[in-house]
Amino acid sequence: MFRKLFFPALLALSVLLGACAAPAALPTATVEPALEPITLTDSLGREVTLAAPAQRIISLAPSNTEIVFALGVGDKLVGRDDFSDYPAEALKVQSIGSLYPKVNPEVILALKPDLVLAAGITNPDDVTALAKLGLTVYTTHNATGLADIYSDILAVGRLTGHSADAEKLVADMQARIEAVTARTAALTDKPKVFYEIDATDPAKPYTAGPGSFIDQLLTLAGATNVGNVSTEQYFQISLEELVAQDPAIILLGSFTYGGQTPELVKARVGWDKIAAVENDAVYIFDDNLVSRPGPRVVVGLETLAKLIQPELFK
Amino acid sequence: MSSPHPLTPSPVQEVRERERGDDLQQTPLDARLASVPEEVFRPRPMARALFGLCLAALLFAVLLGVSVGAVSIPVTTVAHLLLARLSPFPATLNYPEMFSTILFDIRLPRVALMGLTGAALSAAGATYQGLFRNPLADPYLVGVASGAGLGATIIISMGLPVTGLGLMAVPVGAFLGGVLTVGLVVMMAQVGRTTPVTTLLLAGVAVGSFATAITTFWMLRSPDGMRRAFSWLLGGYAGGGWQPVWIVLPYLAVGLIVLQLNTRALNVLQLDEEQARQLGLNVNRLKLILVGAATLMTAAAVSFGGLIGFVGLVVPHALRMLGGPDYRRLIPLSALGGAAFLILADLIARTMFAPQELPVGVITALTGAPFFILLLRRLKRSVF
Repeated sequence: MFRKLFFPALLALSVLLGACAAPAALPTATVEPALEPITLTDSLGREVTLAAPAQRIISLAPSNTEIVFALGVGDKLVGRDDFSDYPAEALKVQSIGSLYPKVNPEVILALKPDLVLAAGITNPDDVTALAKLGLTVYTTHNATGLADIYSDILAVGRLTGHSADAEKLVADMQARIEAVTARTAALTDKPKVFYEIDATDPAKPYTAGPGSFIDQLLTLAGATNVGNVSTEQYFQISLEELVAQDPAIILLGSFTYGGQTPELVKARVGWDKIAAVENDAVYIFDDNLVSRPGPRVVVGLETLAKLIQPELFK
Repeated sequence: MSSPHPLTPSPVQEVRERERGDDLQQTPLDARLASVPEEVFRPRPMARALFGLCLAALLFAVLLGVSVGAVSIPVTTVAHLLLARLSPFPATLNYPEMFSTILFDIRLPRVALMGLTGAALSAAGATYQGLFRNPLADPYLVGVASGAGLGATIIISMGLPVTGLGLMAVPVGAFLGGVLTVGLVVMMAQVGRTTPVTTLLLAGVAVGSFATAITTFWMLRSPDGMRRAFSWLLGGYAGGGWQPVWIVLPYLAVGLIVLQLNTRALNVLQLDEEQARQLGLNVNRLKLILVGAATLMTAAAVSFGGLIGFVGLVVPHALRMLGGPDYRRLIPLSALGGAAFLILADLIARTMFAPQELPVGVITALTGAPFFILLLRRLKRSVF
């Protein structure tokens, strides 16, 4: 009889004690039981251990912020970098500044995070500096493909105790990408597309070369990337090369941070003979959809597909 | 070498005057020199007070530097924590642990590193100005900066692991880049058995531009490393902690001692090379020793602090205007003044737009240039 009662009593007591010990954190979402510490290796090869799912998270990159919100743990974000502007709720979270020339460690320490999510774009020396202060820092990938994004989402899921949500999110993304590629895979007519990243110098704008993330998405969306002429992943293409290639579609990712518009492109010297300009096939494009390795790349791919293969994706 | 105006004596003339009593008696001097008033020989009245002033400024800068930051910690708390850490009897203080982390692991090492960097850049700047007898000389003159930038960029683009030994790879790369570049410059500048100032300057400019061009090219070739390289060029090593302080300290200490031991020779060199040689000075050896010491100090400082302009120019000139051109005083004064100046500049850089940090080089230029102009206008006398 005593034995039968002892264990439930002990359990109840420990729950009570636990509740008393941590009165501040009130998890609203159902958190999986995490009895063992979470140990993962991050993209820098560092071993990162969390005793329990993170309750106070700081994100140092827009992609990480978007992942955190997509997993439904946005309420646990206590700090974000200046560029994290999506979703709108993220703007209500306190900013810790931009990361250049370096992260301000005092502000981060003052927010008492139990997890700092650095990214591939974070200076590894900043990661070192924060780790030296005793903070737990996990660095996501400098994504080279969709697989890296999936693995980042799953990692953040584990670190926040939302593995199931992460797996669901990844499965959903895979299904939506599958839905696009199922229709574009067999295409033989793949129009030439020029994706403009930056046109600070309109005579030789930056574009994405073979193997880059943008190139992969363009290919999946049923396009032939004009940038494939290079061997570099990011490079400045010459206007001569562009005219010779004569792309049928121009996408202005340069709109997002450079304010480029189809009208401005039309006014550029020497661009009027390019097929895309002649046929009014110059479109502005939200560069954040393809430059942030987060859950919204799916939206990026779907938007690309609609612009590139309008007949297929009505 | 003569001054543009008879009433504005140059240090050359001053030294000539000072030395006239002994060895130079027989040396024919400019007739004009005879009319230089007596007062030029004496140390400027400010000079003695300057050491005290600079020390006070440094102390003030350090205290302000550790008290102010993005997170506000009451000054009394800072004082308590500092005293408790310094006193042999450990006292139990009831402050959040975060305060002590911010104070001892973030602010204090940062203030210390900035102090060392400022001292190194400023003392090296004063040395180069004396060595080249050129008021425009700065610590980066013979190519340390461009070499360090190239070294850092190459290491960053190699994408070494950031654990274990790889942690310090960037500062080490910058240091080697800086030292090797200056070595190359000195080798190229040698004409026969001497190293003329003109060829040293020209070789420095040429090799420096070359290294900068490669750096730019390299950064464009490795877009992934570009952010990190950019970050280093703007703000130096971001790794933080006490390690950089312990690495830079010996370079600065040894460098300053070597410079101080050669300040008399540096004074004599202000005549001109031929006269200094006639006085028995091994000018070529002196040049190599001074360039070597100044380069090692600068390279060590730059590897962690990044490329910070204006400190090596403004601080020595300001102190020269206030305290006279005697290098026996100028070198230690520059070290103290440079340390105080850079600590304060860094304080502004990290608090002005907190939590956003500004590159400290922006602040040194923004505050240094107007201050410099003000000094020039108020003390309208050429000290060069």
